[in-house]
Amino acid sequence: MPPSIHPVDLITALRQKHLTPAIVFLTSRRACDEAMESFDHADIVLPPVRQEAIDAVLQQVIAQYPSVADHPLIPTVRRIGVAAHHAGHLPSWKIAVEELMRQGCLDAVFATTTLAAGVDFPARTVVITQSSIRKARDFTDLTIGEVQQIAGRAGRRGKDQVGFAVIAPSPYIDLSVLTKGLTGHPEPIESQFTITYPMVLNLLKAHPLEQIQSILAKSFAQFQLNRRAESLERKLDALHVQMEPFGPRICTDWITQWQTFDQARRQRPQRHQPHHESPELSARFHFMTPGRVVGLARGRGIVLRQYRSKGQRHPMISVLRPNGTVTECPAAAVVEIFDRVFDCEETSSFPWCSAASFDELCYQLTELPPRLPILPILVSQESVPLPDTVVQSLGDFPCPTCPSRPACQKDFAIAHRLRQEQQRYVKSIQALRASLWHRFQERVDVLQKFGYLTSSAQLTADGEWARLIRIDHSLLITELIRAEAFSGIEPAILTGILSSIAHDDDRPGSFPRISPGLSSLLGQVRKLAESLSPYEDPPLLRADVAAIAERWVADPQLTWIGLCRLTTMAEGDLYRLLARTLEFLSQIHALHATHPGLADTASKAIALIRRGVLEELP
Amino acid sequence: MTTDELEQLLAQQPVSLLHRLARGRVHRHFRAGKRRLIELLLQHSSQNLAGLESDLQTLIAERQALPQRPRTPARRKEEAAPTPPKRQHPPTTGGEPDTGGPAVSLASWLEGIGVPPPQPFVPDPWQVEALAALAEGDVVVSVPTGSGKTYVAIEAARRAMEDNRTVIYTSPLKALSNTKFTEFSRLFGPEKVGILTGDRQENGQAPLLIMTTEILRNLLYDAASGEIDVRLDTLGLVILDESQYLADPERGVVWEETIIFCPSQARLLLLSASIGNPQDIADWLSSIRTTTCRLIRHNKRTVPLRAGYLHPNGKLVPLFKTASIPYGHPNHIHPEAKRLFMQYEEETLPSGRPRR
Ligand SMILES: Nc1ncnc2c1ncn2[C@@H]1O[C@H](COP(=O)(O)OP(=O)(O)O)[C@@H](O)[C@H]1O
Ligand SMILES: [Mg+2]
Repeated sequence: MPPSIHPVDLITALRQKHLTPAIVFLTSRRACDEAMESFDHADIVLPPVRQEAIDAVLQQVIAQYPSVADHPLIPTVRRIGVAAHHAGHLPSWKIAVEELMRQGCLDAVFATTTLAAGVDFPARTVVITQSSIRKARDFTDLTIGEVQQIAGRAGRRGKDQVGFAVIAPSPYIDLSVLTKGLTGHPEPIESQFTITYPMVLNLLKAHPLEQIQSILAKSFAQFQLNRRAESLERKLDALHVQMEPFGPRICTDWITQWQTFDQARRQRPQRHQPHHESPELSARFHFMTPGRVVGLARGRGIVLRQYRSKGQRHPMISVLRPNGTVTECPAAAVVEIFDRVFDCEETSSFPWCSAASFDELCYQLTELPPRLPILPILVSQESVPLPDTVVQSLGDFPCPTCPSRPACQKDFAIAHRLRQEQQRYVKSIQALRASLWHRFQERVDVLQKFGYLTSSAQLTADGEWARLIRIDHSLLITELIRAEAFSGIEPAILTGILSSIAHDDDRPGSFPRISPGLSSLLGQVRKLAESLSPYEDPPLLRADVAAIAERWVADPQLTWIGLCRLTTMAEGDLYRLLARTLEFLSQIHALHATHPGLADTASKAIALIRRGVLEELP
Repeated sequence: MTTDELEQLLAQQPVSLLHRLARGRVHRHFRAGKRRLIELLLQHSSQNLAGLESDLQTLIAERQALPQRPRTPARRKEEAAPTPPKRQHPPTTGGEPDTGGPAVSLASWLEGIGVPPPQPFVPDPWQVEALAALAEGDVVVSVPTGSGKTYVAIEAARRAMEDNRTVIYTSPLKALSNTKFTEFSRLFGPEKVGILTGDRQENGQAPLLIMTTEILRNLLYDAASGEIDVRLDTLGLVILDESQYLADPERGVVWEETIIFCPSQARLLLLSASIGNPQDIADWLSSIRTTTCRLIRHNKRTVPLRAGYLHPNGKLVPLFKTASIPYGHPNHIHPEAKRLFMQYEEETLPSGRPRR
């Protein structure tokens, strides 16, 4: 059996069942291109009327976007009524395909799943061939929301009674991801708020420092953090109630008192060492509380209880697994502790929680999104042994003769655990409430260190213009400007540098040679980026990418086709590179009040970039 | 349906269905008993009972499309729901016995395929509701893809412009902005519509401006720091399309900045595909803006969706036992699809056994 259906068979099957037009989502651009090639000798040709209809629409589009005219896919589009639409194509081509789809001229479009969000045209049928997509160099399972976004393109209002999502498997497809995606409830969205340098500068330009905290508090991030803090606060209230029987006794702070006494008592005879347990494990064990989602070598689970093994006193947990079983496993076997805790009503016997909780947890476990945030766990220093003097003075403790001793001895374990928990909650709540503000202050520190802000967090002269650079890698760009790295350079070299900062794709390719001037400046940029890396992630700074952007500006006679021939980069990528570089250049141009020379170079570069295909679209 | 009727209908449903309805609506719904759950549902959706009702109807229809256990039909008779849920698809034609799940046949799965008769354009209740709500305050719309969010955007923009207010419409992608620019220019006339991108302005003084969200964010920063842009004084409406981008790891922050700094006199209209927690977004907006934010949501697809499985040899079978998608039941796979897929895995995986 072939690993996946042949595109010609696919189109034939869809036509036969009247399932066209269809959008076929494929794993890669390459797969889309190969699908188109596979129609070269196919005999499933469209009747002449339909070919003419396609021609008519294409002529209209070409009138507005001449670059569409010579597109190599046009013959196949006309003959078969199928097209490819992916990020490797120019926007004008994508517009042409979208228009053809809108007019009902095509039977199928091959598109990449990565771009599902950018595909803004519906069809009767959507064909799904994969269950994961490449994100940041790694394949991750599609989320429920993503599956529904893809399947949602099926069924055009007013044109279809029903829409169809058809799964045509390809190797490595996981059917359950798709069936879950189709039948599930989309994941809740989580804030991705970050504090950037331009954000800090712009906020401080408009508002005094005292107001900032209340502005940050308006973010969705803080809204969600507050929700979590509130749920912890409720738990904290419950803890207070549990702590009531353990209030002050003969000593007010009897828990600490007993703890010190107990520790001293144990230390004195130098009995056998307590179990060898790494501080990491002890720190992590604290977090393996009932309801916590943890990752094990084989899949995930939810902790139902924690305990210590009878003989060795190893830290152990009982874990609920996705198949509904409860397994006992050493805490050391936990690979990951996730930042996700479900409510769990604990009980003292198997399965360690109430039946209702058990059902709910089983359900939650199957509904968990494929990606979960991992809980960062600080490892505290190994507990310092008590100084000898304390141990010597054991006789000074009132405990041995205290009337409360039996009660203290009995209650200590539980009271101590409760108090620790309480302290942990208080810390977490503080962290949740204040974390954005702390991150803001960290950014302020950096901006002060570099001289964009005064010690009272006012914008310096440099801060005043630097706040206008509101793009990625803003710190690198403003530092380059301050270091006068750009003074007196040619527009082509400025373009080259900015394009290498803007480009964030590490797809390999072959490119033209770089000019010596650009090459040496790029070396300087790399050094600076390296030195800034504690404060800002350095960009890729690819020399080959810089070279191609430089060439486009340096040689105004060069045509788009000529430029494409110089590289193996897809023309869509090339277009995006230059379009993004234009954006960077126009931010530099915005500095005309303070840096007239540089702004002038930028505007020259902008004028030079904007020709041919780059002039077609607004 | 009145609130009382709706309450009655809710009371007739099994508690599991209520829990599914409550997901994303009622915080910690699994804690509540049936009575309390109904109260909470009505309370939380008091602003959008129509949405609650339509989701409820969908769930009921799905339940009935599912293979029935013998006792359920008997109970349903005495329940006599006020609005009898419509069956969207004819019962399976295969005539298999009703044991453990008769599976839909390909013929009935394909039934109804085709073009519906032309109908005059009548706005959906949720569209009308969203527009009415916008007269009172901010609005978050969360409905499935293809429901007709653009209509809400267009009508809202038209109304604001009739009021001599300017409108900003943002989309996450430059390509989408371009499409909308063409579409809106055709609708309102080219002199009424402008577009701003990272490096170019076209008709920048027009009353309806289209831009990417980043550009709007920058505009808002400039306005906040005193480089006042006059257009912001008359700004009456900001439409953020595809606002599920709020969750984008790299760009989500821009949506938050835009919402935080959106001038208070301008209404916010957030259009989003179905997400899990739209109520959170609405609650958030209510908590930081001067007006309360209404949530308009539903999960029912306007054009019903069916799922199929296409084997590499060209054989097409329904993916699920039911013609429609059995929401909440990922395991109700059609036996034929299951068999074919297992065969596929066996033949394509080198080890001869499924991964995981
Ligand atoms: N009330 C309605 N009745 C009929 N068709 C509608 C209605 N509202 C919108 N449509 C159509 O539905 C289609 C999808 O609308 P669109 O706004 O693109 O969806 P969304 O943005 O929600 O994904 C469009 O073709 C639109 O004309
Ligand atoms: Mg839309």
